[in-house]
Amino acid sequence: MAVNHVEARPYRPDWKRGRVAGWVTTVDHKRIGLLYIATTLVFFLAGGVLALLMRAQLATPNEQFITKESYNELFTMHGVTMIFLVVVPIFAGFANFLVPLMIGARDMAFPRLNALSYWLFLFGGIVLYSSWFSTGGAPDVGWTIYPPNSVFAGGTGVDLLILSLHILSISSLLGAINLIVTIHRMRAPGMTWMRLPLFVWSIEVYAAMLVVVLPALSAGLTLLLLDRKADTHFFLPAEGGNALLYQHVFWFFGHPEVYIMILPAMGIISEILPVFARKPIFGYAAMVLALVAIGFFSLLVWAHHMFTVGLSRPLLGFFMVASMVIAIPTGIKIFNWLATTWRGNLIFDTPMLYALGFVGVFTIGGLSGIFLAAFPFDWQVHDSYFVVAHLHYVLFGGSMFGIFAGLHYWWPKLFGRLLDERLGKLSFWLVLAGFNLTFFPQHMLGMMGMPRRIYTYGQGGAWEWYNLASTIGAGVMGVGIAVIALNVIVTTRRGRRAGGDPWRGDTLEWYTTSPPPPENFDRPLPYISSARPLRDLRRRIQESGAG
Amino acid sequence: MPAAAAALTVLALALASAALAGNGGLAPPDAESPNAEGINQTYYFILAFTGVIFVLVEGLLLLFVFRFRRGRRSREAEGPQIRGNTRLELIWTLLPVLILVAIGGFVFYKLPGIQNVPSANAQGGRLDVTVEGHRYYWEYRYPNGVVAVDRMRAPVGQNVQLTLVAPVDDVIHSWWIPALGGKLDTIPGQTNRTWFRARRSGTFVGQCAEFCGIQHAAMLAAVEVMPREEFEQWLASEERAQRTGSSMLGADTWAGACAKCHGQNAQGGIGPTLVGNGAFRDREALEAIVRQGQGEMPPIGQTWDDRQVDALYRYVRREFGSGGGTGGG
Repeated sequence: MAVNHVEARPYRPDWKRGRVAGWVTTVDHKRIGLLYIATTLVFFLAGGVLALLMRAQLATPNEQFITKESYNELFTMHGVTMIFLVVVPIFAGFANFLVPLMIGARDMAFPRLNALSYWLFLFGGIVLYSSWFSTGGAPDVGWTIYPPNSVFAGGTGVDLLILSLHILSISSLLGAINLIVTIHRMRAPGMTWMRLPLFVWSIEVYAAMLVVVLPALSAGLTLLLLDRKADTHFFLPAEGGNALLYQHVFWFFGHPEVYIMILPAMGIISEILPVFARKPIFGYAAMVLALVAIGFFSLLVWAHHMFTVGLSRPLLGFFMVASMVIAIPTGIKIFNWLATTWRGNLIFDTPMLYALGFVGVFTIGGLSGIFLAAFPFDWQVHDSYFVVAHLHYVLFGGSMFGIFAGLHYWWPKLFGRLLDERLGKLSFWLVLAGFNLTFFPQHMLGMMGMPRRIYTYGQGGAWEWYNLASTIGAGVMGVGIAVIALNVIVTTRRGRRAGGDPWRGDTLEWYTTSPPPPENFDRPLPYISSARPLRDLRRRIQESGAG
Repeated sequence: MPAAAAALTVLALALASAALAGNGGLAPPDAESPNAEGINQTYYFILAFTGVIFVLVEGLLLLFVFRFRRGRRSREAEGPQIRGNTRLELIWTLLPVLILVAIGGFVFYKLPGIQNVPSANAQGGRLDVTVEGHRYYWEYRYPNGVVAVDRMRAPVGQNVQLTLVAPVDDVIHSWWIPALGGKLDTIPGQTNRTWFRARRSGTFVGQCAEFCGIQHAAMLAAVEVMPREEFEQWLASEERAQRTGSSMLGADTWAGACAKCHGQNAQGGIGPTLVGNGAFRDREALEAIVRQGQGEMPPIGQTWDDRQVDALYRYVRREFGSGGGTGGG
């Protein structure tokens, strides 16, 4: 026939088909997604080991397990790793793998750009970790890199940190633009904005926020690098600079970054709860609005990280109110998740356990955030272990629980085999118990006066007991995560085959094989008439069968 | 197994909450100053609301998990397809608004009592102390010229205004004595003010709360509160002693500013050993080093007056100056 025949698959020369070369040269969104996820999980284990070393040092007063120099490197590298090399990029990995599948596309909008994003990310991570071997060792100034301290810091660790963050920012920026274009231009017929899976919505907001705030980080870091290397004085008061200017620029990026790290986790939870409750998400439109509202308001709250620098009263008031406003859409999400489980047929498979665990522990992190927004109380606990507890309830209890839920949920789609349910449940209970034992006592430590970022303390009594409990909890959590790793190893060869749709999912990624073929779908997609196209399809089949 | 684990978790939480009720648990430390008291009241006000929300959310979560578990139903069985409920959703949007308005209102109601430094003309007068954050010690200056390091002395029941500064060449630190109120940063090139009025005698401790470098953890602070007459006596006699050079200022400066890196006996630590160092017998060399710093050592004494340099010099010459030195003397 005289129809233009388009080759279904692009031409690939032989040398690109090798086992290693295939991965290195791939532009397939699923493979890039897997590369992202695998790399971030390696960094997650590294960052976790750093955390365990810190907890060992803090287990008892005046402990000498680790030197003060190393301790300062540990908390800096732990923070940077978990934020920039784990949580942000693992969502890029999930998004890469899932967004095209969930919207019924064949790939991302710009596949080569996508590959560039990943390789830049890996390069940024290597640059950061190479700092361990540089003059003066790894950076030891905290992930916030506050001047003047960070300008005075010797060695090249801080310079490598800045370089690495620049590379990672470019990687994230390219990835974000790619995701936005993909979501805007490549949705399946019928998939209107209000039929978009909530995970895709969360990625839309995640990507938009990255585009808005990453340039601020780049600007701040560039000025910092100039202060260190080119004798400028943007942040040095002795020469007429202003140390607080950096904090404003940094937190204009840094606070939205927190929501960049939690919104996709919220999206994951919003996918999992309905499937394992056998109900639609409660209040879809409100969930979308809440995502967008959180993203927007997160741009207006940065100075709540600066309540103790001596802000004027109108500013204190503004940033308190703006911060509290975020509690409203967050509350909407929590209540809507609860309502989704109401009268459901709750199936407690591992993804569901992590999702329910997320709702339980993230609530604690959200509530402690209200305390911190009330700036007089923040004056007490700012930069104390109360904040460490709060941020881990949000970042571990929130983001990581969401990531674990998502990993267990989509693992069969990623690899075609299910993770073992018994090991999965065991890991969940270990992680849940260990997490709370680690971080809940830190609220009390903070109120009692323990600042963050101290390598040791002299106080015995309750300080010692809470710290010891925290260290034991970290060990339990570590075992839980080891069980997840064991689960991965055990099921790689012997796991149960998943089939296309092991969970009875509602969204399009379950409409194809596991793992999906290149270009994703080997049969025509149904017309999308709701946010749950697969349930619609099942019902149509059922009705026609009955009729 | 999940049921057993859940039961264990609930039991652990129950035990924990019993242990948590008291001081050192969910209760903040006792406030010893009106500003700290105002902050504690804010804490309890917020806790009242968040506590209810916590119990509500976690309770509903556990209830739903128990009540709507699959049990013997088929994995395929669907729940009722409820897509939302406008009235309910409005309730859990508007109710939090009201709660947050209440919390915000309470904060602003309490704020003047927490933040406003009482006027110098207020009853009982006011003591003004300058607090200077250095790597890695606190320096206090009293109106009559008395200088103290790390350990501040203050009178009971009198308003004390703290002017928080840091030398322009230094880094950011944060002043924090939990019992005497919230923290406030000392920032190079900026002046911040806070205050306290101690209710009773005693020593209240705290430490730097903004990461400031290698010895951040050693930047401890203490406020020794004493009866007013005793304080006035101390301040006057300390002024005489510092003027005549018979005070402990040299020893305190060594312990606060030098020993944290070089060791109490100058044996070395983060910084090199100073045993036998020529500067112990050469005042000019000592002054040059403390005022300008050297290598990785910050200019720890750039804001000291001559008296403090003299005091340190007298102390180090007496303690360490007799060893076989190379230069000076």
